[in-house]
Amino acid sequence: MFDQFLSTILKADFLFSIIRITAPILFAALGAVVAEKAGVVNIGLEGIMSISALFGVLFSYWTQSWLVGVLGALVIGVILGLLMGFFALKLKTDIILAGIAINMIGGGGTIFLLYMFTGMRGNTGALVSQNILIPTVNIPLIKSIPILGEVLSGHSVLTYVAFILVFVMAALLYKTSLGLNIRAVGENEHAAESVGISVLRIKYIAIAISGAMAGLGGAFMSMYYSQGWNSGMIAGRGFIALAAQAMGRGEPVGTMLSSLLFGFAQALRTKVSGLQGVSSYLVSLIPYVFTIVGLVIYAISTTKKVRRYRETQVKAAE
Amino acid sequence: MENDNFVVQMKGITKVYPNGIAANRSVDFSVKKGEIHALMGENGAGKSTLMKILFGLEQPTEGEIIINGEQVVLSSPTVAISKGIGMVHQHFMLVPSLTVAENIVLGMVPTRNGVLVDYKKAIEITQEVSQKYNLQVNPSAKVMDIPVGMKQKVEILKALVRGAKILILDEPTAVLTTQETTELFKELISLKEQGYTIVFISHKLKEIKQITDRLTIMRGGRSMGVYETAATSEQEISRLMVGRDVLLNVEKERSQPTDTVLKVRNLEYTNKWNKKMLDNLSFSVRRGEILGIAGVEGNGQRELVEMLFNLNTPDGGTATVNGQNIINLSQDKIRDNKVSLIPEDRMTYGIADIASIEENVISDRFTQKRLNSGPLFNMRMIHKESDQLISDYAILCKTRKQQVKMLSGGNIQKVVVARELSSDPILIIADQPTRGIDVGATEFIRKKLVELSRAGAAVLLISADLNEVMELSDSLIVIYGGKVVAYFDDTSTLDDIVMGEYMLGLKHQSPEEIEKVCHD
Amino acid sequence: MTDRRMLVFNVLRGAAAIFLALTVGFIFIILSSDEPLTALRYLLIGPIFSIRNGILSFNTISFYTILAAMIPTIFTGLAVCVMFSANQFNLAGEGLVMLGGFIGALCAIYLKMAAGLHPVVCVVIAAIACGLVMLIPALLKVKLGASEMVTSLMLNYIIMFIVLHFLNYNFADRSKGATQTFPFEATAQIPALVPGSSKLSWGFIIALIFVVIVALFMYRTKWGYAIRMIGINQPFSKYSGMKVGATIVLSQIIGGVLSGMGGSIEVLGRYNTYLWRELPGYGWTGITIAILAKNNPIFVPFAAFFIAYLDKGCQLMSTYSDVPSEMIDIIQAAIFLFFAAEQFLAKYRQKVVVKNTRLEMAKAETRAVSTERRNA
Repeated sequence: MFDQFLSTILKADFLFSIIRITAPILFAALGAVVAEKAGVVNIGLEGIMSISALFGVLFSYWTQSWLVGVLGALVIGVILGLLMGFFALKLKTDIILAGIAINMIGGGGTIFLLYMFTGMRGNTGALVSQNILIPTVNIPLIKSIPILGEVLSGHSVLTYVAFILVFVMAALLYKTSLGLNIRAVGENEHAAESVGISVLRIKYIAIAISGAMAGLGGAFMSMYYSQGWNSGMIAGRGFIALAAQAMGRGEPVGTMLSSLLFGFAQALRTKVSGLQGVSSYLVSLIPYVFTIVGLVIYAISTTKKVRRYRETQVKAAE
Repeated sequence: MENDNFVVQMKGITKVYPNGIAANRSVDFSVKKGEIHALMGENGAGKSTLMKILFGLEQPTEGEIIINGEQVVLSSPTVAISKGIGMVHQHFMLVPSLTVAENIVLGMVPTRNGVLVDYKKAIEITQEVSQKYNLQVNPSAKVMDIPVGMKQKVEILKALVRGAKILILDEPTAVLTTQETTELFKELISLKEQGYTIVFISHKLKEIKQITDRLTIMRGGRSMGVYETAATSEQEISRLMVGRDVLLNVEKERSQPTDTVLKVRNLEYTNKWNKKMLDNLSFSVRRGEILGIAGVEGNGQRELVEMLFNLNTPDGGTATVNGQNIINLSQDKIRDNKVSLIPEDRMTYGIADIASIEENVISDRFTQKRLNSGPLFNMRMIHKESDQLISDYAILCKTRKQQVKMLSGGNIQKVVVARELSSDPILIIADQPTRGIDVGATEFIRKKLVELSRAGAAVLLISADLNEVMELSDSLIVIYGGKVVAYFDDTSTLDDIVMGEYMLGLKHQSPEEIEKVCHD
Repeated sequence: MTDRRMLVFNVLRGAAAIFLALTVGFIFIILSSDEPLTALRYLLIGPIFSIRNGILSFNTISFYTILAAMIPTIFTGLAVCVMFSANQFNLAGEGLVMLGGFIGALCAIYLKMAAGLHPVVCVVIAAIACGLVMLIPALLKVKLGASEMVTSLMLNYIIMFIVLHFLNYNFADRSKGATQTFPFEATAQIPALVPGSSKLSWGFIIALIFVVIVALFMYRTKWGYAIRMIGINQPFSKYSGMKVGATIVLSQIIGGVLSGMGGSIEVLGRYNTYLWRELPGYGWTGITIAILAKNNPIFVPFAAFFIAYLDKGCQLMSTYSDVPSEMIDIIQAAIFLFFAAEQFLAKYRQKVVVKNTRLEMAKAETRAVSTERRNA
């Protein structure tokens, strides 16, 4: 049983699928990272992904260009982020409730919107054709490397974008003045305000970027992963992203690693569900149970970490 | 012409808050160019308000401000900064995970091509300014890793780098060790020699004598005058700072204390900045007496109260109520021992603001049998009890259903007091019980405390209001540097001036005299 | 401002929020429908009125259907009221409705009991089980500080898959085309309150009874009081001697029990077999209801009726005109955003009012004191 397990996961195509499956979670998780850094909780990632996914397909169908579709999804993500920001920061709706509202729109609202724009019900089946999906890329040199080539080459454009964005996000946060301001606002609003930084403006920007990330994640799902939009396709990835961000200590690279972990869990589920005698339902549990377990481990280690940190502070002062 | 060596002139500054409290009453305050000027006064004297006005954080109700000969309206800190005024707050405004350099240039970050932060330049700027003003900082260290003394230097540099020529330092040595204080003073003198003007808010006599040129004393919202530091003795300063303008007269019969209720022995506590806040503190409180704790704030009173109600843990020592230990005991068990606390921060600990008066007043007793019949509340009893308390404590309100936050400050405090004093306590800890509330409520609460003590309760009164602590207490201890430095078993013969000297650390009793407060 | 004026202000504010939300819905209807006026008519008056030959008449069956739809959502609304009152953003009600329905169904199939007792036992077992499941996010929050929001969201999916697993592998009735369990014992089903197709069962009465029970619990017992005080101000509650951790756990367990009850009562009242193959969505509706009811159990039935009415309207709209029924989600989201937002706008207004009031009172007091002094 165990060697069967091992031989399953150590195959190139399995590793390939991990990367593929991780990408949408990673997008949303990066969105959670930037929001959290500015001190904003974005639990509407799930809804933003769903809505952007829909519009990604619609835009690409109308213009017959996948690029427009992806960009459109990104823009929709930004708009939704700003909408959340408006209600949470200006009208002072609890930001968590604002997130839940977005998720509701992402639930049934998307079905409605689909109908409104196309007259179709439930999914975009007929709209999608190969040419409007995100193309895959076979990287010239890498694809020839044995095993590694199979794992790394042949992913969709957006997959590579996701992982590149990890480092872009890190650069944004740690190398640009905007990133500096975001981190200042997230850690100590008063300090930021006292030097003339507009806390409100920074939070809007952060939540807009967060929405953009989720938008790309949605586009990934509908325009590559599932090759079309259907209601319920996001299946909680937006929430798993929150856990990934927490486990990744809120840092881009750490979040990438924890997202890969969740990607692994989901890939495992897909792989295992094909095996004989295994309930597809029990296997579907894996990523979600993983998330809770991960959160628990993180929580335990944080309490320990905080305690250790406090001790070093006392020592430093001595 | 006489004005041209004054960089700051504040004339007739009055500040009255919407709730009616006058924090500054027609205060005149002037600072000469290139001097280190101390602004002194106890907490509540009005010095923080005055400086907030100078830094544009508050607007005066009346009065004018002249900076470098020009009359200005300091409508915000940004305006104040543009006039060359910088403020170093008591609670640092720094971002912990950013480096020193990043904190210093925050809001005016040097960039390459407008987007990427030029970290090299930021470090250069930091080093330049650090050398120029001789304030040693480590530009690449994260603020959360540096000691408090360096954090303060970073705050000073932040102000200087934004062009401040007038620096306001708010109780700068409150968080520093002795060594860091010495270093700070060296730096301040160096800045003074370079032509900077410094306003130094403090109540520490020795420090002020050390480095200031002139001093302004505030008391009760008014200025008591400007004095040359060298020409004024510590005793004189103490007399001006600590004194009662109007003698309060609290009518009470002599107390006849009986057995000891609260025994605090050898409490020790060092806070996270490595400052010893409680130093072998010991005292006892007996039934039938009100023991007051007098002292300037920041000498351990806060920490003491926290230890007694499980909001913090001491490093050593004991505290018992009738023999039962109360250190680290959960609050419901502390209350079971008949201990009540009137907390200093009433909004955080004392009340649930959007709940009704009734709901607030039963929060410590709602599980008791007499207020419940079976699984449900006995609403009749609860209504009866709330109405009784509202009437007994003269809480001015429409109905018992009214939200507590709609009441005036004094009435909110009366809600807290009504609850805490009606549970038949044998030990009452009253922490600043009449701070910030109107005259009527104040008188009422004081009367109640006396009433209960005469009926047999032990009352521990902590108050920064000298009047209150001298008049209301039967006996009192003076706390300085986390220690008891004086014990007076009869407050009726006390003198302001003497009190001031003990409170400011100029005098302390012998260990034998102090020991008497333990009643062993 | 008097208390009465404040009350009127609040009601108007809430109405304005709802109106705004509906307007948003209307705009979408107008944009998406070829016959917006018909659609609107079905949405607004369709649910309880029918127009035949130009005569408006009250449609009783439709009205009863709306009441029937309220049964699960009253329970989830109550569950959220309790949990949100303690400031716990626990969203697992969604999954626990499904679990409650499933467990109740299993008890209905495999236990043999007398008619009056059977449904009670099914519901009780389902409720207790769901309450225990809530221990997971509750304890993780209290002991480890883990976000109850994320854990509860994950729990929803976990419950769904576990139920689906057991449904498909262990309890499915293979003789039927769609995946479902065996039929319930007749003794287990909750009888209909009203004859006909409305599916209005006695569960409705039970729901209303629980509205009263939960209202009493929240406002007339020491546990409900502690839950509310802790939700308002935790440091104050701790300082007053309340057991904060235990109360937080209790609030979530109660949320679980109520959600489980909602699920089991709905399944046993409406169906004769268990057939939910996905999360039924009552949990999210419960949140909307709790927000509209401002966490006060007494208002839950009204809010539930309002939402059920709108929902029915959306269904009619989708049947008789060309607007998809999912419009209800857009309206719900808009209600969320505006209604909860208005709350904060009002808080701001209240601050000003409070200041004024306090000033008035302080003035009055000082006047009174100085009069006394003068007279003394």
